[in-house]
Amino acid sequence: MSIRADLQERLRALLFRNREDIELEEELAFHMEQETAANVRRGLDPREARRRAALRLGGVDRTAEAVRDARGTRLLEDLSRDVQYAFRSLLRTPAFTATVVLVLGIGIGATTSIYSAVQSVVLRPLPFTQPENLHVLWESHPETGIERELASPANYLDWKERVSSFAELEAYGESLSQVTITGLEQPLVLDGVLVTGGFFSMLGVRPLLGRDFTEAENWAEATWRAGETPLILSARTWRSVFGGEESVIGRPVQMNGVAARVVGVMPETFAFPTEHVDLWLPVGWPSEAREATWFRRAHSIRPVARLAPGVTAGEAAAELAEITGRLDGEQGDPGMRTRAGMAPLHAFLVGDVRAPLLVLLAAVGVMLLIACANVGGLLLVRASGRARDLAVRVALGSGRGRLVRQLLLESVALALPGGALGVVLGVAGTRVLERLVPHGFLRVTTFTVDSAVLAFAVTVTAAAALVFGSFPALLARRVSPGDTLREAGRGFGASRGTRRVVGGLVVAEVALASLLVLGAGLLVRSIAELRQVEPGFDAERVVAVTLNLPGVRYPGPPQVTAFYDELLARVRALPGVESAAASSTLPLRAPGPTSDFSIAGRRPDQYGTEVVRRSMTPGYLETMRVPLLAGRDFTDADAFTDGWDAPRRDRVALINEVMARQFFPGQDPVGQRITTDRVPDADSQWRTIVGVIGNERQSEIAMPPRIELIEPSGQDTERDMHIVVRVPEGDDPIHIVPAVRALVRDLDPALPLVDAVRMNDVVADSMARDRFLAILLAAFATVALVLALVGVYGVSAEAARRRLPEFGLRMALGAHGRDILRLTLEHGLTLVLGGLALGVAAALLVTRLLSGILYGIAPTDPITFVIVSTLLIAAGMAASWLPARRAARIDPAGILRAQ
Amino acid sequence: MVDSSLLQGTLELLVLKTLSLEPMHGWGIAQRLEQMSGEVLQVTQGSLYPALQRMKRKGWVRSEWRSTDNNRRARYYMLTARGEKQLALERAGFERSVGAVFQVLAWSGGVS
Repeated sequence: MSIRADLQERLRALLFRNREDIELEEELAFHMEQETAANVRRGLDPREARRRAALRLGGVDRTAEAVRDARGTRLLEDLSRDVQYAFRSLLRTPAFTATVVLVLGIGIGATTSIYSAVQSVVLRPLPFTQPENLHVLWESHPETGIERELASPANYLDWKERVSSFAELEAYGESLSQVTITGLEQPLVLDGVLVTGGFFSMLGVRPLLGRDFTEAENWAEATWRAGETPLILSARTWRSVFGGEESVIGRPVQMNGVAARVVGVMPETFAFPTEHVDLWLPVGWPSEAREATWFRRAHSIRPVARLAPGVTAGEAAAELAEITGRLDGEQGDPGMRTRAGMAPLHAFLVGDVRAPLLVLLAAVGVMLLIACANVGGLLLVRASGRARDLAVRVALGSGRGRLVRQLLLESVALALPGGALGVVLGVAGTRVLERLVPHGFLRVTTFTVDSAVLAFAVTVTAAAALVFGSFPALLARRVSPGDTLREAGRGFGASRGTRRVVGGLVVAEVALASLLVLGAGLLVRSIAELRQVEPGFDAERVVAVTLNLPGVRYPGPPQVTAFYDELLARVRALPGVESAAASSTLPLRAPGPTSDFSIAGRRPDQYGTEVVRRSMTPGYLETMRVPLLAGRDFTDADAFTDGWDAPRRDRVALINEVMARQFFPGQDPVGQRITTDRVPDADSQWRTIVGVIGNERQSEIAMPPRIELIEPSGQDTERDMHIVVRVPEGDDPIHIVPAVRALVRDLDPALPLVDAVRMNDVVADSMARDRFLAILLAAFATVALVLALVGVYGVSAEAARRRLPEFGLRMALGAHGRDILRLTLEHGLTLVLGGLALGVAAALLVTRLLSGILYGIAPTDPITFVIVSTLLIAAGMAASWLPARRAARIDPAGILRAQ
Repeated sequence: MVDSSLLQGTLELLVLKTLSLEPMHGWGIAQRLEQMSGEVLQVTQGSLYPALQRMKRKGWVRSEWRSTDNNRRARYYMLTARGEKQLALERAGFERSVGAVFQVLAWSGGVS
């Protein structure tokens, strides 16, 4: 680009800028005309008259310029001219511009979508009145190491009565209760959450339609007295199940077989405690219930308090602890001390997803940083390619400030479309992210791109432009016309200073990329470790179908047992069924209830706590391929026909391997007797242990198996059971579900199938969180690595080109192609090794942030570090290989002649 | 020739005064100024137009395109209401300054 063309361009732009300028020109021309005419009248010849007129005016152009200055818009005009110039110069190199815009767009887009998740889950305040004053209360039991336990209703009632720091104290049931709704076209299972009567009004949320619960409403009582349970629907349920009609208020339905009535619909934006809730049920307790011991031991609710005005969280926590200590002394169980604590509701609900989300945000931020370094390097090389042009302009008197501004504007001109693309990709990425997030991992399922997210994107874009734009701008500030023109006159390529900066940028890119690849590598290794974990059963070819029998039609063990016996008999008779059984809990889903226990013949203080209990039918071990380690499986004979609650001699039980190892070391547990009472008495139900079975992991694949006590469903019936069905080799077990559904319908048309799931998917689900994190981190790491390798390639190629004359000389003096190859490779490798060393050092400091997320490996796992380092060195070699090979194939004679 | 920077804002004051007589184009203002001052004040024309631009921004004058007597298009400037007020203000200020200058020049007392 020539300076003259540039100046002409500017001049034209200046003169035909707008009407103002045209008018100014006309005005000054008129002035000149009048003045010239006056001069002619004084007797001057026309040419002299005109010259004097111009002199008198002080030059038409200068005057015009002075008038423009007086307009006070000079700065803006210059700026808009520079902006136009920046865009024009970028459009002249479309490939470069497109690359940079794309790299920026991906970086900003990925950052924006992760941020939208962080914003939706962690940062956005809960949509309640003064949410900062809401706190969750919990119980802790120091002796058993149980922390942040659900509270018992009795303690909740005590706190509500005595703690004055709380303006309001309400509670909700943390787990979803599956309720069967009938009285509609088809039976339906919905997820309900119990809340106390004043819960919604404490949050400051009013129903969209109908009314709130009242303090007097009490689900448990309503059920007992066969009264009518009021239901409040989520807006989603209202729309999808009840067609979104206002007449839904007052509509009678049946819930678990008892009368219920829809009394309200919550607003669209309301989701508590998670977005998966379909409806809310009222819960409450009479204060006399506090007398019963079980009521103090039933840890079932999460109390939520609103602080009284002027009370700080610290003061409230102190009062809560003090009152709980006093209550514990008065009426507590000496074997189980109760302590209480509290935490802000929002932090509590966000819980342990905070760390993984922040790790993702950090990772994506690092990726964006690499993208900025990459773009900065590209711009720097581009600017140094124009160093001569810049130097000429400085020599001709152009202000350095103006040059810096122009280069910065060029960065802004790149950042604007980059940021716009980033927002578009970010919104799309948010939708993809929503789909990738494993079910139940986050409290919210939709990430809204609100003004905060957009502000974040704009800030990130501006910061990015500043980061990568400062490199060429600094270069422009240092342009020394003399040196540059002398140096540039000799050859091509960047100055030494520029090369050093670009080299440093590439080292930084490699360092950051190795950090990300290491992090991703650790997660991938962790998943590999998880896959090695034996869940304790064989998930292949097994499907689980969940049923909830309503208590109204199945009031006791005879009806329940009869139903499941008949169903299992029919299922087993289906073609394509290898075996079938039922269990009250599914492994890897959620452990059953826990209780204390005592073993016959031991000292009273040798009781145990927290044994997981479940009930299963004969054949479960065979269907799930759970090994029988000692004794026998349950048989059809392990069933009562009456006297379920009476103390009997023929109760049996199985225990799992951990329990056998922990509580019967060096003994044979088979034949020993056990009861689920801590202090056995005459009414205690003793069970004889008839077998020991392999450990199934109860809640998560990453959690070691807990001690478990299994009772035969014929002796200890449960209404809610999971039917597990194994199909023969080569069949997909999910295909058997319609047949099972048909059998259920034949037996009880009003019974819905709650859920049907392949056990393989249950196993996969339990790794879903880790897989989700690993996939995202691996994706970011891949992009980062590619960007860094492009950087390595660029620097190697430039270096090889610059040293061509030297290589030519070397080869002329007898060096071989492979010597040249080695020289070039060495240069690229130096950058990679430097970056890698920095990256590994940083990783050793940083990866411990992952320790809560990793399973089975240390955050400094040497295998991962070695593999990733090898991979990076190989990739770096490959990136510098291409330019090196090109350099090695030069024709020395041609090169030397060209000099 | 008198430099317009003799006293701050003098040029603007003179232009305001000139325009208070009748709307005029730029060249006309320069001519009229010279004529009224008995050829003592010669306006540096180069500073006249920026001054007009500044006064326009301040809202003292406005401009419009009109035809001259011999049918040429020219930009005429005229005083606004604010310009009238400004003229009175500037005039008072100028008189005070000039008075002060005279007072200094006429000083005959000693150094106290």
